[in-house]
Amino acid sequence: MIRYPSFIIVFLIVFVAISLYQVKHFITQKELELAAINKKIINTQSDLNILKAELSYLKRPNRIEKIAKNKLDLKEISAIDIWNLQHLVEVTKSMAESEVK
Amino acid sequence: MKVRDFLNNDFSMKNNLKLRKIKLSICGALLTFSFVIIGYKTISLASLNKVNTKNISSKKNQLSFFVKSNRGSIYDRNGELLATTIKVNSLNINPQEILNKNETIKKLKKIFPQLNNQSLRKKLNTRKRHLNLLREISPNEHVLLLKQGIEGIKIEPRNKRVYPNNNLVSHILGGTNIDGKGIAGIEKSFNNRLLNGKDVTISIHNGIQYITEKILSEQIKKFEAEGGAGIVMNAKNGEIYAITSLPDYNANSYNSIFNQNLFNRATKGIYELGSTLKLITAAVAFESGRVNESDVFDVSNPLRVSSRTIRDFHPLNYRLNIPEVIVHSSNIGSAKIAEKFGTSTQLKYLKSLGLMDKLNLEIPELGTPQVRKDGKLLSTMTISYGHGIAITLGHLASATATIVNDGIHVKPTLLISNPNQLNDRIFSSETSKKMKSIMRLVVSSKHGTAKKAQATGYLVGGKTGTAEKVSQTGGYSKNQNIVAFTAAYPMNNPQFVITIMIDNPKGQKFSFGYRTAGWVAAPVIKKLVTRISPILNIKPQTKLSSDFSKGLIKYKIRGKNKGANL
Repeated sequence: MIRYPSFIIVFLIVFVAISLYQVKHFITQKELELAAINKKIINTQSDLNILKAELSYLKRPNRIEKIAKNKLDLKEISAIDIWNLQHLVEVTKSMAESEVK
Repeated sequence: MKVRDFLNNDFSMKNNLKLRKIKLSICGALLTFSFVIIGYKTISLASLNKVNTKNISSKKNQLSFFVKSNRGSIYDRNGELLATTIKVNSLNINPQEILNKNETIKKLKKIFPQLNNQSLRKKLNTRKRHLNLLREISPNEHVLLLKQGIEGIKIEPRNKRVYPNNNLVSHILGGTNIDGKGIAGIEKSFNNRLLNGKDVTISIHNGIQYITEKILSEQIKKFEAEGGAGIVMNAKNGEIYAITSLPDYNANSYNSIFNQNLFNRATKGIYELGSTLKLITAAVAFESGRVNESDVFDVSNPLRVSSRTIRDFHPLNYRLNIPEVIVHSSNIGSAKIAEKFGTSTQLKYLKSLGLMDKLNLEIPELGTPQVRKDGKLLSTMTISYGHGIAITLGHLASATATIVNDGIHVKPTLLISNPNQLNDRIFSSETSKKMKSIMRLVVSSKHGTAKKAQATGYLVGGKTGTAEKVSQTGGYSKNQNIVAFTAAYPMNNPQFVITIMIDNPKGQKFSFGYRTAGWVAAPVIKKLVTRISPILNIKPQTKLSSDFSKGLIKYKIRGKNKGANL
């Protein structure tokens, strides 16, 4: 004859065993996922570094200078190409005053 | 006998019931205990510790990821990449797995013609199970290898340190060894930080660095010099925007270079930088209070001290005041000024300017200055015009910046500096003002030695220095010079210090045979200032500008034979 407590005990054993298996399985799966994600991060990071290095290589100042000169026909800026607006006002004023005189 | 029979065995009729109860209690207790343990473990795994476990595992993974995979990168002040680590494939082979060696050699030679036939055959005939054939193969070569289907081939990834800008700032970046450990420059100084996957940002501006290297190397070529060095530094906080040593090398080939190109002339090489040191002499003279501004010094005759005669490159036949001594770059005048303030005062200021100790810069390649400290008058006099004192270019840049930065000590740094850092005052504001005015006159006066440094729109000031090179056999070489120029600009509010040194320039036809700093180094400053100012947002000024001469004293400078009656 199966008594009531024995039934509960058997039920608990089965329940706990299944739960434990489920938890273990879940964790194993998650750890595998984590490892895969980490591997992906490493690869992406590595690809990113290669792309950054390539970009930096392409942006080398000597290369940019060459392109600017040969392809865009740009020239080095000199001081006379830069004018301060305040000075422009002062110069115009003094020129106007000298004309009045 | 069966267990059940044993359990039911009536050992003693009296205690039969009692025994059964005890047995049942023990079994019950054991069962409960087991369930408590299983239950606790289940709950802890399923809920409570799950988060912790995950955190620990991810932390572990992150840590190992950073440590194992990537050494941190090095960036310039604008976030431009200067050094990083990438994954490359290396070609390895197991000779024991190769069936047809001749066929394998044929296939390998087809993809890698650079491989030597004989050494390849030798390698394939060894008993080893793992041999490296090539440290790096391209993705294309990898694909070709896979297509060929060669047995025994192993493609293994490895980390490689790359410097995308090749030669740019190579002396400062340094290099790593085969194990990825920093062995020179920033790579060595910040090795632990970089190994932990953290990046390092340095104060270098790669555009300014390129311009400095280019202009300096053009001048070196023009004057057939042996090499040179240059520093562009913020005059207020000491941040180095550009620092170059020429000839340089490709940082990607650091481990295969064994010549003197590796030598850092800007921070490791110590040189007698000649008359540039007169700036310090004049500043000390003003600051010490032992020399008055109105004092004049007779430079009409060579000065004989002990066994040595001090002469001027451009002899003048009258008495000069301090600004004139600097503008005309008179050795005799400088020696006489130094005689007035004395040896102890001179050494005290050299010490406080840091010219007697190694620079406190963030790289290991630093030179120790050599200063003649025998206490003799002759040494004090020669040091005043840059002989008997050998310092690095970094020391000169630091001293110049201190003089123009209102007298507050400027310490060069390769990192973005802390704006709240307070440094000692070495010279007073008044001394600084006088020195800035004199430095401007060296460039702007028609009698100055650095007229060729005059850049239109920018108030450049500075001091030239031409010194005979110390020969290898001892003494000074009459045919070999070190020329230097230390400049600051704009002189009404100095923002940047530029210090240049060129090693052993040769006189050229276009320079009428001259190989002095005024001819060789000064034009470099002019070109540099004109090119880097728009990048550094330093606006050109005209005489119309209200603050054009603000803060500058107008000293009168006399020319040749103009003051014979003094």
